[in-house]
Amino acid sequence: MWHAGEEVLVETRAVETRLGGQYIHRGVSLSVRRGEIAALIGGSGTGKSVLLRVLCGLLRPTAGEAMLFGGNVWAVDSDALNAMRRRYGMLFQDGALFSSLTVEQNVATPLIEHTRLPRSDCLQLARLKLAMVGLPPDAACKMPDELSGGMRKRVALARALALDPELLFLDEPTSGLDPVSARAFDRLLRTLCDNLGLTVLLVTHDLDTLLSIADRIIVLAQGKVLGSGTLDQIRALDDPWLHAYFSSRTPEVAPATPSTQLS
Amino acid sequence: MNPPTLRLDHSAGPARVIASGDWRLVRMDRRPLWQPQPLPQSVELDGDGIERLDPSGAWMLLRTLAAAGVTADAIVPVNFHPAARAILELVRQNLTPSERMRPPASNWVVQIGAAAHRLAEYVGAALSLVGRVGAECVGLIRHPQQFRIKEFTAQVDAIFVQAIVLVVMMMFLLGVVFAYLLGRQALQYGANLYVVDGTTLAICRELSPILVAILIAGRSGSAITAQLGTMKFDDEIDAISVLGLSPWGVLIIPRLLALVMALPLLVFIGDLAGIGGSMLVADKQLDIAPAAFVNRMVSALDTATVVVGLGKAPVFALFIGLIASQTGLRVRRNARSIGLSTTSTVVQSIVAVILLNAVIAVTLVELGI
Repeated sequence: MWHAGEEVLVETRAVETRLGGQYIHRGVSLSVRRGEIAALIGGSGTGKSVLLRVLCGLLRPTAGEAMLFGGNVWAVDSDALNAMRRRYGMLFQDGALFSSLTVEQNVATPLIEHTRLPRSDCLQLARLKLAMVGLPPDAACKMPDELSGGMRKRVALARALALDPELLFLDEPTSGLDPVSARAFDRLLRTLCDNLGLTVLLVTHDLDTLLSIADRIIVLAQGKVLGSGTLDQIRALDDPWLHAYFSSRTPEVAPATPSTQLS
Repeated sequence: MNPPTLRLDHSAGPARVIASGDWRLVRMDRRPLWQPQPLPQSVELDGDGIERLDPSGAWMLLRTLAAAGVTADAIVPVNFHPAARAILELVRQNLTPSERMRPPASNWVVQIGAAAHRLAEYVGAALSLVGRVGAECVGLIRHPQQFRIKEFTAQVDAIFVQAIVLVVMMMFLLGVVFAYLLGRQALQYGANLYVVDGTTLAICRELSPILVAILIAGRSGSAITAQLGTMKFDDEIDAISVLGLSPWGVLIIPRLLALVMALPLLVFIGDLAGIGGSMLVADKQLDIAPAAFVNRMVSALDTATVVVGLGKAPVFALFIGLIASQTGLRVRRNARSIGLSTTSTVVQSIVAVILLNAVIAVTLVELGI
């Protein structure tokens, strides 16, 4: 009863995209099931953020289908597309906050536009979401250009969560956050997923996120999906980039022995 | 699924509120969830009938109970699905006080003070810019090889060369209209020839300098503000400083010098175009042949008029350039700021040009020029 609805929320079928004459995707096929946190990884320039834009209805693919909630994003009419848009939230890489609104107005905008609740309720729900992402109450009346990068990202996450969506797209959510905030962010995502059945597709370079909360990892390389599975399955793949990626942690430095210390 | 409902149940001893139905944001609207009724300080909340719950729904639930006098901490949840319980706890932990964190109140005294403060800060920044530019110029005189020729010529191309056609068109049409209207009056008194005096003097002394300056303010002033503003936005100006170069020398001096050089040339071109337009109308409407026009012009137009007209141009250009640079460097990091700044540059420049023109006019009259 808690997690009713479509089983496969996100699906791409042989998506091809071109940007400025270059092929970014050459047939990307992946799927994300309800309730899982899927992490999209790959080298820089492999088109991870571009794929999110295709799924959100921002960039038309040259071939293939991008499906959300079982419907083709690029083939439905605008009413159906808007209905889809109320069921997912998107976090852009730099936050993409509305620069002429305060923080709480930013988060309240989806509520004001898409619900019939009175404005004061929308603002209070916005403050609830701001508290959920770990922002102090005095941040609510600030303007976006008065915030640090990490705070802006958290406001953007609060806005993505404003309508309590079933699906979240996150574009490098922890980049620019300090390790403590990044882990708190991961924990919040895990709590929401476990208790709400929230489904997340996130683009990340953060190995800690992968190790701690990702249910499934999808690897993008050379415009295609190189592999998709659990952490152990991906680790077992034979690819030089993946090997380098997973061993990119610098080993712990051993403490100096007494004989090397200056007396 | 059923709509969200709340029901008070006294049958099992301590007051118990039974929530049931679909408690999600999509089901919430303005209608009250139950008839307000008084509740004891602490109640049990039975969640067995809750079909779906999300954070917004949980918040509504807690808010409704709070309105009936039960604080969030005094609610004892029973029979909740574990996931629903977790969501309720998540919301309970994050409830913020209901009064808004208001920004400090401002009355008219505060606003006047804030405006005076902003004005003082603006004047200070303007003087600082003038000082820095002056210091850079002195430095350039001592080390002329540091002058950025490429940037300068690029700006001359953008500010001067690309504006020529526009200036010619504008001043030609102005000359036509002016001569035509003056001509109609002159015809009534048979004073055709004096149209030559009227148009050439007015164009050379006042119309060309002011109108060309306004055109350049709108065209190049706003472009400079937008360019510098975008560079400030992207930290490009900081990057220039960190490399050991001076942003004033690299960016602002070439633009200022280009403006100061371009505007008199454009005013001159405007003079020629305006006179050309008048000549055309004089020929067609007033039967003054071009040769006669030129003859009359040579005797009517004295050197002082032309020189004054051309001499105003560098002054206007300097002010336009300083205003545009100042506003560009003060752009804030938000989407409206660039638009507001470019508008402000154009308005300030036009006002400055008109004011300067008035000051110069009065001064020269007093000096007898």
